Amino acid sequence: MNRRIARALVPAAVLGVATIGALSVFMGSGAGASTTSTTSAGTVAQSKAAEVISVPNAAYQTTRPNAGTANSNMQIFNKSGKLVAYGDKNVTYTAPPSSLIPLGQAVYMQNCASCHGVEANGVASNGTPGGYPNLRGLGPATIDFWVESGRMPAADPRSVQAQRHPPRLSHTEAVAIAAWVNSLDPATPYIPHVNAVSTAAVTDGFSLFALNCAACHTITGGGDALANGTNAPSLRNIPATQVAEAIRTGPGNMPRFTGNLSDAELRNIVAYVTGYIQHPSNPGGLGLGGLGPVAEGFIGLALGVGLLALIAFWIGDRT
Amino acid sequence: MSADQHTPVSITSVSIDDPHMQPLARNPRRMEQTIATAMFFGLLSFVLFGVAYWMNWAPWSLGVTLGLGMVLLGFGVTAWGKYLMPKGPFVEERHEVASTEAQRDSFAAAVIQRNLGILGRRKVLGGLAGAALGVFGIVAAFPLIRSLGPLPKNSLKTTDWKAGSYLVDSTGRPVKVSDIAVGGIVTVYPMGYQDTDNGQAVDQTVLIRLATSDVVTLAGRESWGPSGYVAYSKACTHLGCPVGLYEQQLEVLVCPCHQSMFTVANGGYPTFGPAPRPLPQLPLYVDGRGYVRSQGGYNQPVGPGFWERS
Repeated sequence: MNRRIARALVPAAVLGVATIGALSVFMGSGAGASTTSTTSAGTVAQSKAAEVISVPNAAYQTTRPNAGTANSNMQIFNKSGKLVAYGDKNVTYTAPPSSLIPLGQAVYMQNCASCHGVEANGVASNGTPGGYPNLRGLGPATIDFWVESGRMPAADPRSVQAQRHPPRLSHTEAVAIAAWVNSLDPATPYIPHVNAVSTAAVTDGFSLFALNCAACHTITGGGDALANGTNAPSLRNIPATQVAEAIRTGPGNMPRFTGNLSDAELRNIVAYVTGYIQHPSNPGGLGLGGLGPVAEGFIGLALGVGLLALIAFWIGDRT
Repeated sequence: MSADQHTPVSITSVSIDDPHMQPLARNPRRMEQTIATAMFFGLLSFVLFGVAYWMNWAPWSLGVTLGLGMVLLGFGVTAWGKYLMPKGPFVEERHEVASTEAQRDSFAAAVIQRNLGILGRRKVLGGLAGAALGVFGIVAAFPLIRSLGPLPKNSLKTTDWKAGSYLVDSTGRPVKVSDIAVGGIVTVYPMGYQDTDNGQAVDQTVLIRLATSDVVTLAGRESWGPSGYVAYSKACTHLGCPVGLYEQQLEVLVCPCHQSMFTVANGGYPTFGPAPRPLPQLPLYVDGRGYVRSQGGYNQPVGPGFWERS
């Protein structure tokens, strides 16, 4: 009898150890943050009476200065007077270079036009308007986020929520698509680059994260299920630029954080996410993916009691 | 092994050359070497633990060395007892537990006789002990009685939101009408209360921008949602958790504790989950300088239900 039970328990224990191992690998897979920066030569102008480019998407903008719009301390214009970059010392928003527009149009027609339409207005090739999102006037950061995070081109265009994938298009192609779509209806926010992440105030970033982000993404950034089949994705593998883009543009069901977060606050949140969230300090050596006390306790209990039962059988067996 | 080796023998009468006295291990010498090896490495682990502690190495190295040492030592001691000690099984006969009848009778008689003589002589002490226990029983009920009052009166029905309160975020910055883009959410408090306990508990409010034009969430609330701003209490009507999960395309607020869902565009009505009532909506207006302010307090008590709630 003892042996029979013991024989059943051994594979259970092995399975448990394998689960912990897999979880620890999953937990440790947070890749380092990579940032992108596209700069164009131009002239720096300190704006006094904030000169704002014509924005067809005023509903998605804020008038608060230094909060992701052209109304910022620093504005850089090119020779033809087009705003190519803006921001402050915390975050620099850069327009995709106009030299990429022809490439962007070609890539767009191959990969995006079948759903979003040849004019990027959401009218698909079969002529039904409103079936797919209108991309015009959203600003380059939105386009860049969806393509660079691998959500677009969508694996299943009719799914409830496009999930993060390894990107199908290269970084240059993503920026090129953003350049072409933005040339149809120029708008902000441009593609953000968070400056000097390592020196940001992570304590402030943590408070802001707890107040604004943790409700959906959980306090450990692991993500969680939401209503009607949607979910908040894990934040453990997201480069700094995409974190900033998501905060400023509100992809999918995520709220759009504009005037209530300044660029300084945005930088602090990005520093916290790419720092402590993506590289948690697990003093015990095994974080179990930050599953939470109930799941962690269950794993500990199942594994610990299983092991103790095996040991008890071994000690008590006298044959 | 023959059957009589499994029959228990009395430990007091077994002879030294009885098969029961043999160790369980087939090759005791090799088992001894195994155990010695385990104990040696256990010893080494404890030494390493000391070094790790002394050198201030990473916490996991402390756990690994201490744990490995205990496991190896534990294995050695257990295997020693299991494989190298006489394998048995042995029995030890019990002696009779009960006293003789005569002893029991005389004990009972002595107890009864002494009680009459000793306790009966100390009536004052008996009375005092009884009184103390009685008073203790009454006093122990005080916390229960205390918990019945005083009544909370109006405090459960009111918040710090007043007519004209500015909506400020957690840093105390008042919200202007052009601040928040459509699809945005911000947790707000009445100005001056953002750092108070009561402010963070009952005054906490989610401010959501649904559109750029005025929003009417229910008939009778025509003026409550100026320029697309709507504000709801952040305390769930189920158990008071902060309803902070906003899905901007679905326009629902979700409670993280029990997944109650509330429609933002239709008066905060619960559409899923255990929440029994809509989230109270805060009526807003935009003043002449563009600040978003409250027309007054909530039209109903915020948070979970209570006895006197109408």
